[in-house]
Amino acid sequence: MTVTAPAPPRPRSGQPPRPRKRYLRPEALLGLGFVLPVFLLFLVFRFGPAIVGVLLSFFEYTLGDSPRFTGFDNFVRMFDDPLFWQALKVTVIFTVLYLPLSIATSLGLALLVRRSFRGSKLFRSVFFLPVITSLVLAATIFTWLFSSSGPLGKLIGDSWLASTTLVIPALVIVSVWSRFGYGMLIILARLQDVPRELEEAALVDGAGPWARFRHVVLPQLRPALFFLAVIETTTSFQVFDLVYVMTGGGPARSSYTLVMALYDQGFQYFDLGYASALGVALFVLTLFVALIQRVLMGRSK
Amino acid sequence: MTNALRPRLGGKILRGVFLAVASVITIFPFYAMIVLSLKPVAAVEFPRSLVPWPIDTSSYDRVLGGGDIPLWTLNTLIYSVVSVVLVLLLSSLAGYAFAKKRFPGKETMFWSFLAMVMVPYHVTLIPLFVLIAEAGGVDTYWGLIVPTLANAQAVFLMRQFIGTLPDELFEAAKIDGASEWRIFATIVLPLCKPILATLGLFVFLWHWNDFLWPLLVGKSTDMRTLTVGIAALQEENVPLNVVLAGATIAFVPIFAAYLVGQRYLTEGVTMSGIKG
Repeated sequence: MTVTAPAPPRPRSGQPPRPRKRYLRPEALLGLGFVLPVFLLFLVFRFGPAIVGVLLSFFEYTLGDSPRFTGFDNFVRMFDDPLFWQALKVTVIFTVLYLPLSIATSLGLALLVRRSFRGSKLFRSVFFLPVITSLVLAATIFTWLFSSSGPLGKLIGDSWLASTTLVIPALVIVSVWSRFGYGMLIILARLQDVPRELEEAALVDGAGPWARFRHVVLPQLRPALFFLAVIETTTSFQVFDLVYVMTGGGPARSSYTLVMALYDQGFQYFDLGYASALGVALFVLTLFVALIQRVLMGRSK
Repeated sequence: MTNALRPRLGGKILRGVFLAVASVITIFPFYAMIVLSLKPVAAVEFPRSLVPWPIDTSSYDRVLGGGDIPLWTLNTLIYSVVSVVLVLLLSSLAGYAFAKKRFPGKETMFWSFLAMVMVPYHVTLIPLFVLIAEAGGVDTYWGLIVPTLANAQAVFLMRQFIGTLPDELFEAAKIDGASEWRIFATIVLPLCKPILATLGLFVFLWHWNDFLWPLLVGKSTDMRTLTVGIAALQEENVPLNVVLAGATIAFVPIFAAYLVGQRYLTEGVTMSGIKG
């Protein structure tokens, strides 16, 4: 395909250029041609499935059968389903523990490696290593660390993952370990933009380290922290790999998350309509929390 | 005055201690993974199990000797490398068009890409799987790879980057009579090297570490990727040293990629917030 673009046709004087004509230019065809492959893939594998995913939540559908429209039945069933409420509870508790802990860890370490000193680069590299490690690998080794044979299990004299109360904290710890390096980098990038003069002025005015952090640095970090909060909330709502490998949702469903429930309904029981309804619930929950975060963010300005 | 914000000696020591402890905690799981993979089957009791000597490589003999791990490694490699090449090609073409071309529907298309980022992946998962299953894509490489090529983040990144390149570069080549393909291949792509390196590394990591999609599509043992295979080994109560030998093997390429491309990865995060 060798297309050379000629100069665009000049409109005759006094007449506005006709917009249709513009679209026929080779440049436009070429632009379309360059975008089309991705766009078609997008239509078929993202956009289409998203719409069908919402529609399917109003159907009863098992793989191989033809879908049967059932209105809001899946949602009614969901509200009566103790497993759904359990999964929602676990997901929310997980997020409530994970979010502050991961952001605080990221923030603390970002502040510590902020100024360059001998070894600061090495520390940053070390802290980013878990981010690029697969959650499945993290899960296999942490399963042992938390087991009654591993150091963390020995610490409390029992396996964390067999305890209905300690299983979520254990999953939170692994998640924080695997994600804090990402948040640290996001915060570090923003910290570089905090004007030095501001901090020095505060120092001259006699502000201690805490006051400088609280009144000079923290306000500048707000957008970065907001961005992180949104990203990490989504991440923790969708927690799956760790749960699947480390606990399978147990013991006694005490680590059964929403995506775990979706996976079970969809791919263990092939109840695809109900699984789609769970997907919609997850979507609504994500939007709802994003909205709340937006409002809080707007108010604190 | 410029050094006024530097911590004093006490502060420096405190900072050093904190960072050292945090580093040890960060590294410790990797250390445990490698050391335990080099222990005999029964030696899992802490703390004895974390003494590095003596080394016992029987787990690696078992894993590399005939088991499934070499095949799973090959599957993972195909999944990752083919996806990287195709995603880079598709997204740089689209990014170039979105940044530098005018065509009908451009804004609509671009905003629909943006909007889809808001929709959680799991909403699309069920229909996506049905689609691939009905089309005969279960247990095939194409079924694994093709749906992941619709990568909105990659298109955004390429559009952002190419948008910063000066138009004069392309105009000059056009006046010289270069075809659009030639401009794309000899001007756009070479200028995009840094962003292609960053994006390529991230796409590689995403695919190498991906779990849920390969778990659904790779039904037979032969079509598993490393993450799916290692999870299955763990589930089947295969001895810990063997599971962790597999995990260590899966970790080596990631670590190598990190050593080579760390700068591109960290710059990718700090410049664009691309998700690790």
